[in-house]
Amino acid sequence: MRNNYRLFWGILLLLAPVQLLAQGLRISGRVTSEQDGQPVPGVNVVVKGTTTGISTDASGNYSLTVPGANTVLLFTSIGLVSQEINAGNRTVVNVVMKETVNELAQVVVTGYNTTQRKDITGSVTSVSPDKFKNIPVASFDQALQGQAAGVQVTQSSGTPGGGLTVRVRGNTSISASNRPLFIVDGVPVEDGNLTGRDFGGQQDNAFALFNPNDIESIEVLKDASAKAIYGSRAANGVVLVTTKRGRSGQKTTFTADVQRGLTEIIRRPDMLNATELLELQREAVTNAGQDPDQRGLIKGVTDGVNTDWVDEVLRRGVYQQYQLSAQGGNDKTQFYLSGSYRDEQGVQLNNGFTRYTAQFKFDQKATSKLSFGANITASYAKNKRVKGDNFLDGVYSGAIKSLPYYAPYNEQGRLYGPNDPNYAGFPNFNPVGQAVLPRFVSYTAKFLGGVYGEYEIIPNLRFRTKASVDYNNITEDNFEPSSTAIGGFLESVGGQGYGDFSNTTLATLISTNTLAYNFQLPGKHRFSTLAGFEVLSRQQRSNNVQGRLFPSDDFTYIRSAGVVDQGDSYLLNSGLISTFGEVRYDYDEKYLATITARYDGSSRFGKDRQFGVFPSASVAWRLSSEPFMQRFRFLNDLKLRASYGFTGNERIGDFQFLGTWASVTYSGSTGVGPSALVNPLLQWERTREANIGFDASFLNGRLSVTVDAYDNLTDNLLFAQPIPLTTGFGSVQGNIGKVGNRGVELTISTVNIDRGGIRWSTDLNLSHNQNKVVELVSNEPIFRGYTADGVSRTNVILPGQPLGTFWGLKFLGVDPATGNAIYDDKNGDGRISPEDGQVIGNAQPKLTGGFTNRVSWKGIELSVLLQGSYGNSILNFSNTTLLNAGADIENNQTRKALQRWRKEGDITSVPRYELGNSYNNYHSSRFLEDGSFVRIKNLTVGYNLPRQWVTRYGMTSVRFYASATNLYTLTRYSGPDPEVSTLDGSTVSQGIDFFTLPQVKTILGGLSIVF
Amino acid sequence: MRSVRYITVLLLVSLASCQTVLEPDPVDLLVDELVLNEPNDVQPVRLGMYNALRGTAASTIIAGDFTADYIQFNGTFTDNREFGNKQITAANSVVNTLWGALYRTIYVANFILETLPGVAGVPESTRKQVLAEAHFMRAWANFIGTYTYGDIPQVTSTNQAANRNIGRTARATILASVLADYQAALADLPAVAAGSTNVTTNATYLNKATCQAALARFYLYQRNWAQAETLAGQVIASGIYALETNYSDVVLKDFTRESILEVGYSLSDDPGTTATSLNNLLVGRREVIPSNQLITTLVSTEAGTRRETIGFNVQNLRGSDNGWSVRKYGTASEDNNNIVLMRLAEMYLIRAEARAQQGKITGAAGAVADLNVLRTRANAPAIALTAQADVVLAVERERVYELAFEGHRWYDLVRTGRAQAVMSAFSPNWTSRFELWPIPQSEIQQNPALAGKQNPGY
Repeated sequence: MRNNYRLFWGILLLLAPVQLLAQGLRISGRVTSEQDGQPVPGVNVVVKGTTTGISTDASGNYSLTVPGANTVLLFTSIGLVSQEINAGNRTVVNVVMKETVNELAQVVVTGYNTTQRKDITGSVTSVSPDKFKNIPVASFDQALQGQAAGVQVTQSSGTPGGGLTVRVRGNTSISASNRPLFIVDGVPVEDGNLTGRDFGGQQDNAFALFNPNDIESIEVLKDASAKAIYGSRAANGVVLVTTKRGRSGQKTTFTADVQRGLTEIIRRPDMLNATELLELQREAVTNAGQDPDQRGLIKGVTDGVNTDWVDEVLRRGVYQQYQLSAQGGNDKTQFYLSGSYRDEQGVQLNNGFTRYTAQFKFDQKATSKLSFGANITASYAKNKRVKGDNFLDGVYSGAIKSLPYYAPYNEQGRLYGPNDPNYAGFPNFNPVGQAVLPRFVSYTAKFLGGVYGEYEIIPNLRFRTKASVDYNNITEDNFEPSSTAIGGFLESVGGQGYGDFSNTTLATLISTNTLAYNFQLPGKHRFSTLAGFEVLSRQQRSNNVQGRLFPSDDFTYIRSAGVVDQGDSYLLNSGLISTFGEVRYDYDEKYLATITARYDGSSRFGKDRQFGVFPSASVAWRLSSEPFMQRFRFLNDLKLRASYGFTGNERIGDFQFLGTWASVTYSGSTGVGPSALVNPLLQWERTREANIGFDASFLNGRLSVTVDAYDNLTDNLLFAQPIPLTTGFGSVQGNIGKVGNRGVELTISTVNIDRGGIRWSTDLNLSHNQNKVVELVSNEPIFRGYTADGVSRTNVILPGQPLGTFWGLKFLGVDPATGNAIYDDKNGDGRISPEDGQVIGNAQPKLTGGFTNRVSWKGIELSVLLQGSYGNSILNFSNTTLLNAGADIENNQTRKALQRWRKEGDITSVPRYELGNSYNNYHSSRFLEDGSFVRIKNLTVGYNLPRQWVTRYGMTSVRFYASATNLYTLTRYSGPDPEVSTLDGSTVSQGIDFFTLPQVKTILGGLSIVF
Repeated sequence: MRSVRYITVLLLVSLASCQTVLEPDPVDLLVDELVLNEPNDVQPVRLGMYNALRGTAASTIIAGDFTADYIQFNGTFTDNREFGNKQITAANSVVNTLWGALYRTIYVANFILETLPGVAGVPESTRKQVLAEAHFMRAWANFIGTYTYGDIPQVTSTNQAANRNIGRTARATILASVLADYQAALADLPAVAAGSTNVTTNATYLNKATCQAALARFYLYQRNWAQAETLAGQVIASGIYALETNYSDVVLKDFTRESILEVGYSLSDDPGTTATSLNNLLVGRREVIPSNQLITTLVSTEAGTRRETIGFNVQNLRGSDNGWSVRKYGTASEDNNNIVLMRLAEMYLIRAEARAQQGKITGAAGAVADLNVLRTRANAPAIALTAQADVVLAVERERVYELAFEGHRWYDLVRTGRAQAVMSAFSPNWTSRFELWPIPQSEIQQNPALAGKQNPGY
């Protein structure tokens, strides 16, 4: 393989020295923006009257050889006001340039490079922190919600610090990860959940360790042209996060931010009270031919207690966040420093998330050739968690189900524990006890740090090297006392308390080395080239220990456990070695082209497939620069774009290609048992992507429109191909099958009014994505999701259907004569069996979007963000328990149960209740609902104190605001919240509500002072 | 320009680290090529085979007892609801688990039978013993397979391509292969001396008597009464196993003296709360509880101390929950989480049944004498029946008292032709299709040779 590298670098060396060795004086300098003091790449610097020129590099730097003193330099760039500067006898000429048209001059980070938006030929969406500064987002992925076309963000629940699903242009994969690649300051950081313990569905979010207020910009790379530089990891899109840096030429500013507020569940489930439930249960028992009195369901006795369990476990949470930051610098040195504290109480008792962060960035330009710097993010979070969702001993999940006939506390005010004769038995556990008694705390700490150096070897040929580490430590400290389900009820697990303690370290080391060379050929042919080499090595180390049989509940650490019989330690290494390159070309900013490629070797691929190439190409045509377009004077800019290329997904798990045997035990001895079948050809999933689009700007930037359409096809899908068990194995890892994504995206930004001090602007983004499994190993359905009554599973993967397709019986209604459910007898065999299962819907929306309006007038500002989803189904799987037609009487029922069939002739959609009859409760389309919604995601009213008032006290600005998040949701979904996913992060089983905690509403007041 | 070259050279040098970055070693896995190629590898792989056998145990108990009239549903899992309500479907995951575990056992056995003869340097005695064990395991798995699912694919190699597309073989052919494998095993398994108290040789691993016991069961199912009587008699007479004085020890202890084959768990590999963990199903979650009918049977004087099989807790008594739980599968720390696949009492019952069927009713070599051995131990009144039909039924009842929740009931009812009569009285949903389990739905879908070949009625 090494030969391939030599060849690659040989070619690069041939390309590099296109160097005009002209005689004369060398001038260098940096171009920065007047607006924010940041360097501007892609500005043309031309010696006036000649064709000698260059464009500024990623850091705004340029070097130019000029004929002699008093040369006039011309600085031009579409979207910036051109400048002519007489260099005199200076050798360093720094220039500050001013924007003319919004957006075009915006600096966009494109991976290993940066450029101005005007020069982009691919599809890249930028989200600036302005868009989410009022929303109390815990993590930057949440900040993308409703802000970017083609990016679908779904928060799995209202758990603080909890997980989200982020999808860029749909789902490409069945078995491998569907998460985009998240890069923070050049490092692919840990994503998803960091902790290992299962809490029933909801997980933690690694990104919650970053303070979103330290972020300068977020870029989402969406098409092959933009992404291919990330090669085998790019198929699901790339999200580039850049933290704040200092600004040159500005005085040091200090910013203090305070936010305080309250959180509350957005809507409570509507459950029956004791009397209503008793009547229902008596009816169910009677219908089953039994005597309800004999079963202890006695009117006036059983319903003597009426507990609203949801009320008992929920509360109003207090939210608070404080931040202090300093930012400043001069031409040579810039810095940013900040510290923050955030504390968010969950709406469930004993649930909360607390975070401390520190952020530092430093850049130094030592000489005109050498610069260096560092970035450091350090953070620490404490997450107090509670169980939920699929767990019988969950808090919110337990509360919805619990029978109102029982109280949480006895007469002495003590909590009822499991096995208490005065409390409902299995499957009910006192949810108040389950909330307050266990200790589930995870401590996560992150250190993300990098140092870089950059040297200009010859004019405009810059070598940059950066070494970074992303170091995460996770400690999980859990104990369940004997008064809880696990610690007390399940003797095989706990009996007398159950503790587990684990520690995991996730460390990624990455070395990135790039050579960038900008040059211009006579006649406005500008080239910007980059080649790089990167080595990434990740190590995961973990250990845990579990103990039980504690002397009493006063002893909660494993040191005191009577039996310590479960433990584990583990080490996992993985790595990636890559070479990549990029050539950008433009002619007079009118015809643009980009070629990008990456050559990746990954430890995850089979021996015969260790390396792969991921190329892409794109072109753009700035139509508005053509002479024949000059008469359309309202049109400021119009650029047509097209791209094509290949990306990969290497997150297919480690060692999947090996045929392996793993340790097994038998009667106290240890041996080896077969574990997996070999496949030396196992490789990345490959996505072929095509994109066309345009960017247009009208009326001096008051209206800008971006439209993109794409057609992506992922093949070589990683798939644990199910094979007959007669082989001794259930599956073999292979690359089989195809998934397609097609879609259209629209972004419109307008300034509707801008006069008399009133400014009203609007941002709209809409995305449509059509996902389809094109081909699988066979046309047989592959079942996923929860096991279900009457059919095998809740979800199915089936060619021709999208991922996230729901499976079940088709519910045709309730027979008015008998009150029984009628299902579609699909195979016509006269009875209802699992073979009658069919596709009943899917969880993927037809349309998602966000709509922001901002109005400002004399320091008062109002902004409203609407966010929504249309055309997706939700599986209300909770109702298989909460509207169960009497399958059991161990659980409370929703109010809808009152609409049940009771007598002949009743027309209703709720079948007859009959104890023990599971037929009426078969998994069917009865539980599937329309999940479309529109939500007032955020409403903020702010007031900037007049400048003359604040400057008197030495301050630059003072802003008060009030912000409401998740204020109102318009939906037809009958559950509390349409935006839930009990299987946090799942693709094939997304959009299932299974006792999932709804989102929370946050109302807060904020104060921001700059001085 | 020179510096560019230096950098390039540097980068090329750093490529030397490629190997460690791109080819890390797994720490918890052994690759195929290394698993069985030297004498030291034999023991680990042999243990892997026993582990595979252990993997079949819990689902076999579930098949034998949950399919029949022993249990009622008391939990939340669909699988168990299907067993409780007698609405078993091809999608039931235990149906799939047992099938997979049986063929996993057959795979490891075949792997050993194919590979071990070619491994140089293995002592001949070890080679013979492990090959014999592999024959036994394959026979055991096929025997359970064919009595659970009917005609099943006969897998005799590790060839992936062949085993992916393999049709059903008639039960008679499967049984012939079972007999051949048992006989091959019997020849080479080590003999254990009478009076041995070593649980490792007696019950943990296979010996000649284990194979005789399995053959006794085999002949019983074949209604080859003479052979069944002989082989059960050989095991009883071997002197290796002895009935425990107290039946409660059989219920509450691991590795009693009467265990002939017992798959063991320790504290660290206890199946805990997994879906097929018997302790979790029967005690932890109480997904299924003893049926009222079985409780009546087991608490009768006729059962004697075998009422210890189940226990009552008043706190559980509510709703449809009768408050009773099965006690035979405890936890690791109670030293009661093993699964007994064969024990001496079954040999008495096999011999009793074989004798009864041959008309040997009374006297020291009669069926009644065998039954009374067990009844005496259980402090149950001795029986003195003389009519053959009565004694055959007495054996059936005695098997309930003695072997409840050891995985026999459903197989017994089906092999004696009593299933329809007994089960129809127990559950209105029972139909004759439940005399076999369905082939797992996924197997029908993924194995082309099984397409459309589901058992009747499913």
